[in-house]
Parts: sequence; C-alpha cells; structure tokens
Amino acid sequence: MRTEKFKKFATFVLEPIAFGLLALLFILPTITVMNLQPITKALNNINVLGVGNKAELKVNIVGGTHQIFSQEKIDEVDGQYTYKTILTRRESDRYSKPIIEIINNKAQETIVEIYGGTQLPTGSDITMIISDQVYRLQAPNGDVTSHKITLIPGQKYIIFLAVETFSDVQFEEDFQLNIKELSF
Amino acid sequence: MSKILKRALKNTIVPAITMIAGKSLGVFVVSAIYGFSLQIGNDINGIFSTQIYFQDREVTQFVNSMSDLIMLLSLAVPTMYLIIKTAIFQSASNNPKTIVKVAEFNMLKWITKDDTSFLKIFIWCAFLWIASALVIRNGIQNDTYSWIAILAGGISFITGLGALKTFEVETNKVYPDSKKYY
Repeated sequence: MRTEKFKKFATFVLEPIAFGLLALLFILPTITVMNLQPITKALNNINVLGVGNKAELKVNIVGGTHQIFSQEKIDEVDGQYTYKTILTRRESDRYSKPIIEIINNKAQETIVEIYGGTQLPTGSDITMIISDQVYRLQAPNGDVTSHKITLIPGQKYIIFLAVETFSDVQFEEDFQLNIKELSF
Repeated sequence: MSKILKRALKNTIVPAITMIAGKSLGVFVVSAIYGFSLQIGNDINGIFSTQIYFQDREVTQFVNSMSDLIMLLSLAVPTMYLIIKTAIFQSASNNPKTIVKVAEFNMLKWITKDDTSFLKIFIWCAFLWIASALVIRNGIQNDTYSWIAILAGGISFITGLGALKTFEVETNKVYPDSKKYY
C-alpha cells in the first residue's frame, strides 16, 4: 500500500519534470546553435611584439544587445563601411546605443563622410553622437544629411545612434549607416 | 512516468547532441581547414555571452554556411535512413519483389528487425525542422548562402512527407485498411 502511494507520488512529481526536461532537450540545442553562429568583428591583432598598429582607419562594431537596435552588422566594400541594424517596434521615446568605434591609426588627420537613415520616413528623428556632439542623420520627414567628421590621429571615437519618436512605431525599419573615408 | 515519455526522452538525446556537434564542429573544422583566424569573445549578444568572431564578412558567411550545411546533413542523413528503412520494411512485408531487390542490394538486415518507431522518426524530423528553420532564417538575413536555405527547405519538406507516410503505416497497424479485409 505504501509502495503504491510512493509510486503515485513519484509519478506525480517526476512527470512534469520529465516534460520540462524534454522541452529543454529541444530548446537548449536551438539556443546553442543560434549562439554558435559566427559574427563579423575586427579581431584583436596581437602578436609577440605587442599589439598591431597599422596606419589605417579601423571601424569596428560595438555589439551587445538592445531592445530597439537588433541584428547589427557591419560590411566593408572598397574602403566603405556599411552598418546595418533593424529598428524594432517601439513606444514613443528616445533610444540610444553605442554602435561603432572608429580608430584613426594614421599619422595625420582623416576626414570621414557619414550618412544614413531608414528607407521610408517614419517620423523618427535619427541622430548620431560623436564626442558629445549631436549630428542629425535623418529628419522626421525623411531628409538625410551627410556629415564630414575630422578624426584626430591616434584617437578613438565611439558613435552613438539615437532615435527619437513622438508617437509609437508599430513596425520594424531597416536602418543603414554609411561611413566613407575621404581621400585627397 | 509514462513509457512514451521515457522513450521520448531517450530518443531526444542523440539528435540534440548531433545538432550541437554538427554546428560547432562545422565552425571549428571549416576554420581549421581553410586557416581562418577566429576569436572567441564574451560580448553579451544573446542568451549566452560567448560569441565566435571572424574578421571579414565573406569569411563569416562562408563558415556559417558550411557549418549550417554540416549540421543539416548530420541530421538529415539519419532521418532519411530511418524513414527509408521503415518504408522498405513495410514494403517488404507487403510485396515479395521488394524482398528480392533488398537481397540483391545486400540489405536484408534492414527488413529483419523493426526497431524504428514513428516516435523516433518524428523526434529526428522535429530536430531537422528546427535546424532547417534556423538555416532558412540565416538565409533570409543573408548570413548563409541562399542555396543552403533552399536545400534545407527541400529536405524538411521531403522528410515531412516521409514522416507522414510512416505515421500512416503506424496507424494502419492499429486500424487496418478496411478495403484489404472486406
């Protein structure tokens, strides 16, 4: 009688745990595989003599997670960098995130042209912040402004992307930022 | 604890390990073969904090595509094997011609033991569908070559049909086709 009661109790306790375990056996591999997906990021160029210091402009993605800025990527084609992200649905507010770091490893000042925005105007005011200076990238009516930024040699700059909306946005938007080094 | 739950748990472990091993081995083996330098960092960019980085976008896409393909094949091959084995077993019990053909190809072992259940096939298929969904998502986001995403879609469709056929076979065992007997 006691053994039967114990068996019943064990079944009562073990069955939900087994269901949870079964679910975990599906969920964990899925998350692991998603996490094993490699991403593009400039690697630390370390060698036995110390950190590599090539005389060039380095543009790296900052990465990390954010509730609004998702699926960040950076591509480089012929010296022009393209940063892409998806601006997800959001409530009216101001959101910002560090997105890119630019390091000027050259011996002289370098000028970069930065412009970008969403394909469709969504009433959002999109700006970037570099060294506490605010630059408007896209006005709420969709007008895109290009900016020329002078980078001091040996200096590291972090670009923050800020999005401000006065009404809720119910759909996702593809945002693209182009960074081009101007040659003289 | 019910028997079906115990069997489900037992049958889930191998495909789960295969899925993770296929992807991780794919990333590391492809990187080693082609000599790509990868870096493992710990930026918080998901549920886990460990990330694999490559320098170039093209390299990232290539490694991701190949690792996706390896993961997909490591799940698709056993699933296809289980489905084909069950189909041959069933066909052999109904059609003597199949037995002759199976003997010709020296595959008599396949029809002497019915150790493959629908549950096992369904679990392998479920993992294959999850893997295919991840590959298709990567394909849409341009993180994987589009032909691999199309291949994933095709494989999951075919295995889906196979699983459905196996389900029919299993239900026919419980509720035999009335036309056969009346």
